[in-house]
Amino acid sequence: MRKSLPFAFFHMHPKALLLEWQQEPNTELLHEINCFKTTVKNHLKEIHQITQGYCTLLIQWKNDLENPAEVKAKLETLFWNIDFSKGNEKLKHWTIPVCYEGEFALDLEELSSGLNLSKEEIISLHSQPTYKVFFIGFLPGFLYLEGLDSRLFFPRKKTPRLEIPKGAIAIGGKQTGIYPALSPGGWQILGNTPIPLFNPDKKNPCFAASGDTLSFDPISYEEYQLILKAKNPTKYLTKKG
Amino acid sequence: MIEIQNAGWYTTIQDLGRFGHQSLGVPVSGAMDLIAFNWANRLLNNDPNAACLEMTIKGPSLKFHQATHIAITGALMPALLNFNPVKMYEPIQINKGDILQFSTTKGGCRTYLALLGGLQTETVLGSKSQYKGLTRQHHIDKKSLIPFQEIPFPPKRAKIKKQLINYGDLKLEAFEGPEYHLLDTASKNTLKKKKFSISQNNNRMGYRLNEKIMQQLPQIWTAPTLPGIVQLTPDGTLIILMRDAQVTGGYPRILQLSDDALNLLAQKSTRDRIKFEITSLQ
Repeated sequence: MRKSLPFAFFHMHPKALLLEWQQEPNTELLHEINCFKTTVKNHLKEIHQITQGYCTLLIQWKNDLENPAEVKAKLETLFWNIDFSKGNEKLKHWTIPVCYEGEFALDLEELSSGLNLSKEEIISLHSQPTYKVFFIGFLPGFLYLEGLDSRLFFPRKKTPRLEIPKGAIAIGGKQTGIYPALSPGGWQILGNTPIPLFNPDKKNPCFAASGDTLSFDPISYEEYQLILKAKNPTKYLTKKG
Repeated sequence: MIEIQNAGWYTTIQDLGRFGHQSLGVPVSGAMDLIAFNWANRLLNNDPNAACLEMTIKGPSLKFHQATHIAITGALMPALLNFNPVKMYEPIQINKGDILQFSTTKGGCRTYLALLGGLQTETVLGSKSQYKGLTRQHHIDKKSLIPFQEIPFPPKRAKIKKQLINYGDLKLEAFEGPEYHLLDTASKNTLKKKKFSISQNNNRMGYRLNEKIMQQLPQIWTAPTLPGIVQLTPDGTLIILMRDAQVTGGYPRILQLSDDALNLLAQKSTRDRIKFEITSLQ
């Protein structure tokens, strides 16, 4: 007997199918979703767009799906023929310089008293882990990262700030993230990176991709200013793999 | 070049939208009412993706520094060309120095102005649609100068039959969303039977409705959304995502509007009423 699919189809829009995995997000699931996404992109040339969430893929076509059953069967066959044991050589690791000092660390004081940790301990706990990029959403270039140390979990602000500066490094609940542009938001801000997360003038506007890993490297205020004034700040981003 | 003498209430440049970058968190954008937008370009035999002005509630005053042809479609927005009324839904000849003044809409919310050959503003990630943080300007203001190419000959007469859409129609076709099945019978009945009204929080990103659904659903793991998704927030508010909406979200998605319904909703504004006509695609 054939195994049952790990995801369910939901016909969300006449032009779109949603694929939902009924499980908690984890890195194995992310690998499975990314392998499937790549296969679908390579084999179904007629698809218009494909986007993802923690446990979901949304596939869109230009026109209404006339025979959704046929499309679902095709997707199912594609899924069973993937060799998930293969790693993805294209994945990269990024080290992002972050200044956790002075004017950039807007909520570090509040985090320190709320978490009963010194500022130095918070910075160390935040810059030690390797974070996994699950996907990009919310704003152009906003990375959904997993891997925040549970000792740093902290609730969002009751009243969101109207303006969070571009490049702000923040904690919201169990998540950490980087604000790619000036925007309103309720996360607690502990630092800032001079590296642009999104540049619409570039062919590839966002350096990171789903499945990549990332870590934060604490830098001084002087180093921050140096990178900010550089002609090409992105060269201060270290890439491995 | 078009000189903006008065920007109107909210005027933007839009084309069909920005595709292929949603996986980087970039919204689709594009004209809110694609039916009216397509009509405007077809009247001039333009490329279907030619950029137009999208004018909301109260239109701008424009001075043309070159000759061209234009077409006006969508919400009824009376306009004067050199102080003489002009007709909508037909090509209009514009001479160098002409002044076109729009007033407020009488029925409907958004009016489109297409120009022969399209507006020639910057293209960012494959689209001219204005969006904060991507294009230099995210809407038109008094200082804006909009370039276009002067095409001396009139547009080829487009053979089209005008399609009448009643912007006062309350009915919006909607499909059951991924979390619709989590709603109880009372909530489903409210969604099916109640007339909802649009709150003053309505813009290109989303429309919030005034009436609430008195049921809390669990948050979902952040997942992709589409324009036309109806979200249910923890306090019971319904938010309908529009063309500039974020591409992922964590609120339960209880309905998905059809494309026609999304275009119709774009012609509605504060206090207008709507009623969902719900079917299932499963």
